[in-house]
Amino acid sequence: MQHPFEVKNLKKTFGTKNHQTQALKGVSFQMDEGEVFGLLGPNGAGKTTLISILTGLEQATEGQAFIFGEDVSKGLQSTKSQVGIVPQELVNHGFFSINEVLGFHSGYYGIKKNQEYIDYLLGKLGLLPHKGKKVRELSGGMKRRFLIAKALVHKPKLLMLDEPTAGVDIELRNSLWEFVEELNKNGTSVLLTTHYLEEAEKLCHRVGIIHQGELKAVGKTSTLIKDLTQREVLIYFKEATKIESIYLKKQTENMMAFQIPSHMELGELMAKLKLDLTKVIDVKIREGRLEDAFLSILGDKTKNGNTK
Amino acid sequence: MRPQDNIKRELNLTPFQALFKKEIMRFWKVVGQTVFTPLVNASLYLLIFGVSLGKSITLSSGISYLAFLIPGLVTMATLNNAFQNTSSSILGSKFHGDIIDLKVVPLTLNQIVSAFSLGAIVRGLTVGAITFMVSEVFYFVTMGEFLSIAHPFQLLFYLTVGGVTFGLLGVIVGFWARNFEQVNAIGGFVLLPLIYLGGVFYSLENLHPFWQKISQMNPLLYFVNGVRYSILNHSDVPAEKAMMISLISVVVLYFLARRSIQKGSFQKW
Repeated sequence: MQHPFEVKNLKKTFGTKNHQTQALKGVSFQMDEGEVFGLLGPNGAGKTTLISILTGLEQATEGQAFIFGEDVSKGLQSTKSQVGIVPQELVNHGFFSINEVLGFHSGYYGIKKNQEYIDYLLGKLGLLPHKGKKVRELSGGMKRRFLIAKALVHKPKLLMLDEPTAGVDIELRNSLWEFVEELNKNGTSVLLTTHYLEEAEKLCHRVGIIHQGELKAVGKTSTLIKDLTQREVLIYFKEATKIESIYLKKQTENMMAFQIPSHMELGELMAKLKLDLTKVIDVKIREGRLEDAFLSILGDKTKNGNTK
Repeated sequence: MRPQDNIKRELNLTPFQALFKKEIMRFWKVVGQTVFTPLVNASLYLLIFGVSLGKSITLSSGISYLAFLIPGLVTMATLNNAFQNTSSSILGSKFHGDIIDLKVVPLTLNQIVSAFSLGAIVRGLTVGAITFMVSEVFYFVTMGEFLSIAHPFQLLFYLTVGGVTFGLLGVIVGFWARNFEQVNAIGGFVLLPLIYLGGVFYSLENLHPFWQKISQMNPLLYFVNGVRYSILNHSDVPAEKAMMISLISVVVLYFLARRSIQKGSFQKW
């Protein structure tokens, strides 16, 4: 199987000899075909640099990057034709209407007559009534959707979305993600970066977490969460109760909070605590979230199998 | 729809055609600014220098000053507009941020350079042709007859090659520039002196031999004189030399333009 993208020991340095910033410090991983892959990391982690190298906007200082098995440094037309990119920064297009820009963009990808598909995309993204408007006449959210249409005019096999929901309201965010899920179901591989970890957790089959130019973790979203987070179990009692346990984290008069490994079941905890269930009013469980895994990696608190 | 399904791609000509069409549409959308403003400039030059001051200027070749000025103005209009078309298109894209499209989409270097050059020559020749028509009106009113073209095909050659050369120069400046100051500096310190010292308004024979030598280093001189020879059958430099230098300029600048795209800045301003 060909990977939509693969990077091998990828390094990128910016700046002059005296003032160098290493944006990527030898990153190696790949994406599987047909998946939604989340590239996560704090600001300045190197996510946009990685995407810029994959799309040919930047040259790697060292190492290799491949798109569907083709070396991106060769800048081949066949490589570029397979990728659609939604950049982080909003752009304008001078005097042209969005319909005209999408027409030119189809042409750049070698497609002469594409109006039917352009209309389909504009309809899907709620932009059909605005097709005659210039880009600068659109609102921020509309511009974002227009950029998505622009990235899709040539039906790319790999769609890269760099912070597509930054500054976008919740309703629009949800509709964008629905559209991304639909594209993915139809066979488009999706690489996305986002600060909304809740959304990444819901959407991404796998995630890679980079921090200060290094890949800290990569793997199935559910596995990472399980490996890097703990479950929180809150037990409410009818009356003040005293229990000794290594899992006990917090205690009030009639509530106890336990932190247990993600793979430990509730029954196992109950058995270990030897609880008298007649004294229990309620039990609440808070499962580990991707955000917890993310923070645990960035804080370097946890190191195990999937972290690097 | 599935990715890449039912999709017909042609990557040899279509990407080039799309960028070429965009370049034409860009200047055509602001035709008043891009085509008709240069006409006002040309008319003023014709009125002040050609008709008014020209009466008191005599040239040793016996050609009237108005006739001498017209080929220079046509060349200046063509070359300047070709330069403006590419440089302002690229600078505009840097300002708007859509310049990165050129790196991301499957346009090859040759396709980008050719589409920009051809867009430049369309605008250059349009403005050049309109300038010539306006000049003919001035000439007819002043001299009572139309100025005939001695070598039409050579005229087309010099204006086309000159337009492409200056279009390529605009590509180089556009990609190389990192801010508006640099562009203004190129315009003010390089392009304007090249145009005004390129023999548009004066004949080389009127200059001191030292300044004649300096002028001969200006490539614009050869385009102006090539066009002047094509219209008037008179030139300050040998026609073969003008043709040779024009061709060398276009080839050298083509490769420099390719290089400027490879090494230039695609940052949004």
